[in-house]
Amino acid sequence: MVPNQRFKQVFVLSTAMLSFISFWKAAAIVLCDFGSSAYYSGGIAMRAYGPAFPWFVLGVMLFAGVMLAVYVESCSMFVRGGVYVVVRHAMGKFLAKIAVSSLVFDYVLTGPISAISAGLYISYLAKSLLEMAGMHFPFSPNILAVVFGVAVIAYFWKENIKGVKESGDTNVKIVLFVAAIAAVLLVWSFITIYVRGFTLPPFKLEFSEEALGWSKHFSWLKPIGMIGIFMAFGHSILALSGLESMAQVYREIEDPKVPNLKRTAIIVFIFSVLFTGVLTFLSSLIIPAELVAGEYSENLLSGLALHLHGPYLARLALQILVVISGGLILMGAVNTSFVGANGILNRVAEDGILHDWFRKLHPKYGTTSRIITMVAALQIVIIIISRGNIFLLGQAYAFGVLWSLVFDTLSLVVLRFKEADMEREFMFPLNIRVKRYQVPVGLMSVLVVLLITGVMNLITKPTATVAGLIFTAVFFTIFQVSEKMNEKKAQLYKPDEDKDEELNLRRADDIHTVVPELTKARRVLVPVRNPNNLHHLTEVLETADDETTDIIVLSAKIAKGIQSGGETMSDEDKEVFSAVVLLAEKYGKTVKPIFVFSNDPFFSMAQVAQAAGVDEIVMGVSGSTGAEVQMERLAMAWGMLKKPDAPAKPVLARVVWEGRQMTFQLS
Amino acid sequence: MIKQSDGIGLSAIISPEKVVFISGSPSKEEAVRQLTEAMLPRVDGLIGRKALFDRVAEVEKLNQVLESGFYIPHAKFPELDGFHAVLGIIPEGFTDQATGLKVRALILLLSPHKPAFFQRHLNMLSLLSQTFQPELIDKLAALKDPAAASSLILGK
Repeated sequence: MVPNQRFKQVFVLSTAMLSFISFWKAAAIVLCDFGSSAYYSGGIAMRAYGPAFPWFVLGVMLFAGVMLAVYVESCSMFVRGGVYVVVRHAMGKFLAKIAVSSLVFDYVLTGPISAISAGLYISYLAKSLLEMAGMHFPFSPNILAVVFGVAVIAYFWKENIKGVKESGDTNVKIVLFVAAIAAVLLVWSFITIYVRGFTLPPFKLEFSEEALGWSKHFSWLKPIGMIGIFMAFGHSILALSGLESMAQVYREIEDPKVPNLKRTAIIVFIFSVLFTGVLTFLSSLIIPAELVAGEYSENLLSGLALHLHGPYLARLALQILVVISGGLILMGAVNTSFVGANGILNRVAEDGILHDWFRKLHPKYGTTSRIITMVAALQIVIIIISRGNIFLLGQAYAFGVLWSLVFDTLSLVVLRFKEADMEREFMFPLNIRVKRYQVPVGLMSVLVVLLITGVMNLITKPTATVAGLIFTAVFFTIFQVSEKMNEKKAQLYKPDEDKDEELNLRRADDIHTVVPELTKARRVLVPVRNPNNLHHLTEVLETADDETTDIIVLSAKIAKGIQSGGETMSDEDKEVFSAVVLLAEKYGKTVKPIFVFSNDPFFSMAQVAQAAGVDEIVMGVSGSTGAEVQMERLAMAWGMLKKPDAPAKPVLARVVWEGRQMTFQLS
Repeated sequence: MIKQSDGIGLSAIISPEKVVFISGSPSKEEAVRQLTEAMLPRVDGLIGRKALFDRVAEVEKLNQVLESGFYIPHAKFPELDGFHAVLGIIPEGFTDQATGLKVRALILLLSPHKPAFFQRHLNMLSLLSQTFQPELIDKLAALKDPAAASSLILGK
């Protein structure tokens, strides 16, 4: 007679979301979005306010360091942060919905502006090559960019529907390639300046009629002095797009999280200043001003490559490499726009402000295909409406970037007072201690700059103001209506059919199919049951070395009777795993969550522990039985399942609770 | 911290005089009561009748039948210095209401309630559950003689 099968079902939580990445990879992911603006921000700024643009683009890149520090503070407070979470905590759901609407606008526009910019770089290169070959086709680079942009969006739409994850490794390769090209451009530019000499760009602002927007109607609002500076700053602020990616990537950063986030911020800052700031500046020193405003306004770095000192073929080769690097990073940004928008909309959906219709998973790929399709459709419409006009897209783009930053910074200021005692591993500098408050003088200064710039942008960018407000209003309405519908649904106690899939679960036939996924030298089994009693898991996460230790988190649900195979997880079961995921993210350590249906939790523990060859079992104390009884049951289950010929590997069993622990060596 | 340092053998607790055959199909409580009755003379002078029955009844609520169909009601007493056990074999067996498992062998195990002994207590529980697998229980249920049962368990 063989003992009854103990596992009725084995569910394994997808580990993808619980794998953590180095700060290098995190920086690469952020830079694939944030760094891509180097390819178009200079040209857009030049068209807005003239030859002074390199000062402001460089200034915006230096200001990026300030904003990165703002994001480090917000991330240190909320592991699953980002604008929505921070604003909701500080100022409530209403303003959070407005903030996230503008952020979605930013992400949605990232796709078109990046795809069009890549298309323009390729189009202008193709034009040069064709002309060099003596072929003169009268084609418009902008129309070609539109066709290219739509094709790119369609490609990434398909890829995201299939659930192709944003790979940190790919991003690292792209950023390394881009960095190599940037280094060549930098060195070659300095040689060119050394040979030819240079004249610094003027400070004088020469706003185009288009760039003055509605300010022309206010006689007192002249684009001079500080007003002019803020206007120009506002026209350059689109270069800050992509910072939100840092908040999105923070949950994936490995232990130690905040120090690694700071390293990420420093890498992003240095890269951005050199790549976007300095290269844009050098472009203005090397390319004649009339060409920056004309021929190269839509492909500035190509222009830089072609105007360096040296043989034409070498410059052309560099232009080709610039276009390839631009194509890669800009297309990476298109993918980020899908991943980011999808991620943010899923995040707000978790909070009940997006109707479940949007979250319906693709039957084959298990992705939130409706959200992805909606984003793709919006992006294609925007590309077609823009007709490949990167200046128009850039105008609109700044709206989402700026207002999401305003809301984020304002929320941090509010939280300094509202949640004065909340743990902050990092605080934005310049604070004055008044009683129990750290008055954020630095943060408030940043907020003032952002607010003035925001107001200036509202006035000087009619397209962005109108489009941004309409888009924000539409999304805000969707969130409002969704929330009301979800509230009604909750009142009716209607079960959610999709709950099972939202945790990204997969079934495994047997626990032994999961074991090969454990690859580290040491293995610790942590059984969990109560989401409010995870002290033992916290202790393991605090002390385990992620490099060498697999942490298996086991939740066993008692299911009596014969094996049916039709068991599903309840909301309480999912709550346990959600708490586990949050904790793992907080510590940045990889865990392998396993959920089993079993006749007895101690048999599950013993069976998983023996199958996985664990070195240690760490339990939380049970309020109903106590540590001794837990040890007794584990000892009996261990003995019953132990095979006579099994190797005598000592396994340490521990019951851990506040300030105490009981240990026993199973043999 | 408790460490397991010493091994323990079944010969310390299993011998022919500590094996009881129970006829018919008693309830779980009745089977445990019969073993407790058989245990009483072995702890005479150390634990009183009422204390023994009360304590066994109390901890019995926390004990569970193993999936192998073996049951180990166990209790700890500060008065004891070593293990005391009585093995019950029920050829007809009984069905445990809580788990639906058929139980044809059970052992009442008393251990000293001393922190230093807890490791040995756990080892003994582990050893018992490892030993009393369904194959052995099937063979024991086919026997009628305590001495033969003792020999079979101890591998003599």
